[in-house]
Amino acid sequence: MKITWKPAVGGAVLLLSTLPGHADASIDQYLNFSGFGTLGAVYSDYRRADFTGEYLQPRGAGFSHSVTPTPDSDLGGQADLRIVDGLTGVVQVISRDNEDGNFSPHVEWANLKYAFTPDLAVRVGRTLLPTYERSDSQNVGYALPWVRIPNEIRYSNSATHSDGVDVLYRFKTGSVTQDLQVQFGRTSEDFSGAIFRGKDLVVLSDTVQYGSTSVHLAYQTMMYTFATRPPARFRLASAGFTYDPGTWFVTGDSNFAHYDFFGDFYAWYLSVGMRFGQFTPYLIYSTEDAPDASPPAGLTMLGDERTAAAGLRWDFAKNVDFKLQLQRVTIETQHAPASFNLVQPGLRVGDKANVLSLTLDFVF
Amino acid sequence: MKATALSLLFALFAAHVHAEDIVVIVNPTAKPVSKEQIVDAYLGRSAELMPVDQTVGSAIYTEFYKKATGRDVAQIKAIWSRILFTGRGQPPKQLPDSAAVKKIVAANPNAVGYIEKSAVDATVKVVLPLD
Repeated sequence: MKITWKPAVGGAVLLLSTLPGHADASIDQYLNFSGFGTLGAVYSDYRRADFTGEYLQPRGAGFSHSVTPTPDSDLGGQADLRIVDGLTGVVQVISRDNEDGNFSPHVEWANLKYAFTPDLAVRVGRTLLPTYERSDSQNVGYALPWVRIPNEIRYSNSATHSDGVDVLYRFKTGSVTQDLQVQFGRTSEDFSGAIFRGKDLVVLSDTVQYGSTSVHLAYQTMMYTFATRPPARFRLASAGFTYDPGTWFVTGDSNFAHYDFFGDFYAWYLSVGMRFGQFTPYLIYSTEDAPDASPPAGLTMLGDERTAAAGLRWDFAKNVDFKLQLQRVTIETQHAPASFNLVQPGLRVGDKANVLSLTLDFVF
Repeated sequence: MKATALSLLFALFAAHVHAEDIVVIVNPTAKPVSKEQIVDAYLGRSAELMPVDQTVGSAIYTEFYKKATGRDVAQIKAIWSRILFTGRGQPPKQLPDSAAVKKIVAANPNAVGYIEKSAVDATVKVVLPLD
């Protein structure tokens, strides 16, 4: 996930930030700084692979170390800029364990947004992709009900961000609000040893909100190259939902991805939680399955695993939460199970890993 | 002992009924606003209104969100963290007291705020009592 800083966008933001804003009756500030972070620790009792916080991380807990802070720990800072009425900019930099196994910061968001009306806006620059329901805030622990987004749902998608342009349109039909997003751009992600590059990236996303219920639908396609392979097509369709009336929630997400070279991937999760004052216990079941049909890559069942998890979020102080999550991962492939890296000889299909994660999430 | 517990209970109950009622206010020139629109504005689901907040964690803040949205302070913070860190918007501006809220609402046709019922005057219009 090494992301090269685009000087053009950065320069534009810096330049525009020096322009005087129009005086008006609005009470917004012109420049706002905020941030978020997570301090985490993960223990895994499974010694034949490392449990990671996302598939790009080269190391984790289990084989290399029994306890490690790297899977979930991160720190992000954001500057929000209001340039003139309707024109805003955002830059977010985040430090998180990456494909090189270090925490060198990268730019997660950097875009300029122009709102023609409160309901119609265009953005130019870098955004996180709305691939699944929580993909655009996947590293903001405080905004998540769990320690992390289930690894299975992240696995089928190689690209997390887009450099390009997108249009946001919100409209209301009775009490139903829809947020439509159309995105065009390109992307790249560094994997250990090879780069994934995507171009002609098109994403359509719709978030339908009706009271406490929301449904997220998305479709994504691009032409990609990986290592020395010729260009191939990637397609992904996803559907997720959340019902959260306040005292409890149920949420689920699913996606189907097809790579011309790597084949098909199905992933989904379902989670429920109850709120008791400061405490929110939850359960998650998640799974990823790449069917047996032999893709050209020859690697069948890439990522296959399933996870049952139980956890607790404790909002013990202002702007800080503590989470504890216990999970059992059942490995269903010898080819890079979604949550693991550094797979060692002796790993067998059916092996189970018990993982304990603790995090302290904060926002400021 | 029993009597003490009972009187304590009564005292708590009395304190609860006497907690000041909160009302949601808009500009006197604004069109009527539904509870749904107010909830959408304060949970960041809509940009048609400009919501303003009282100090985060103050009694009136906590009470307003509990009554209007059924959510507590940490849940509200989590919801706005997601909106903020995806570049979709800023949480409502925090104001120090009801007088400041009235001032902003009186000056902005699409502003919405909440104050104690006793603080209402002619500069603003009540659209929703919360009790």
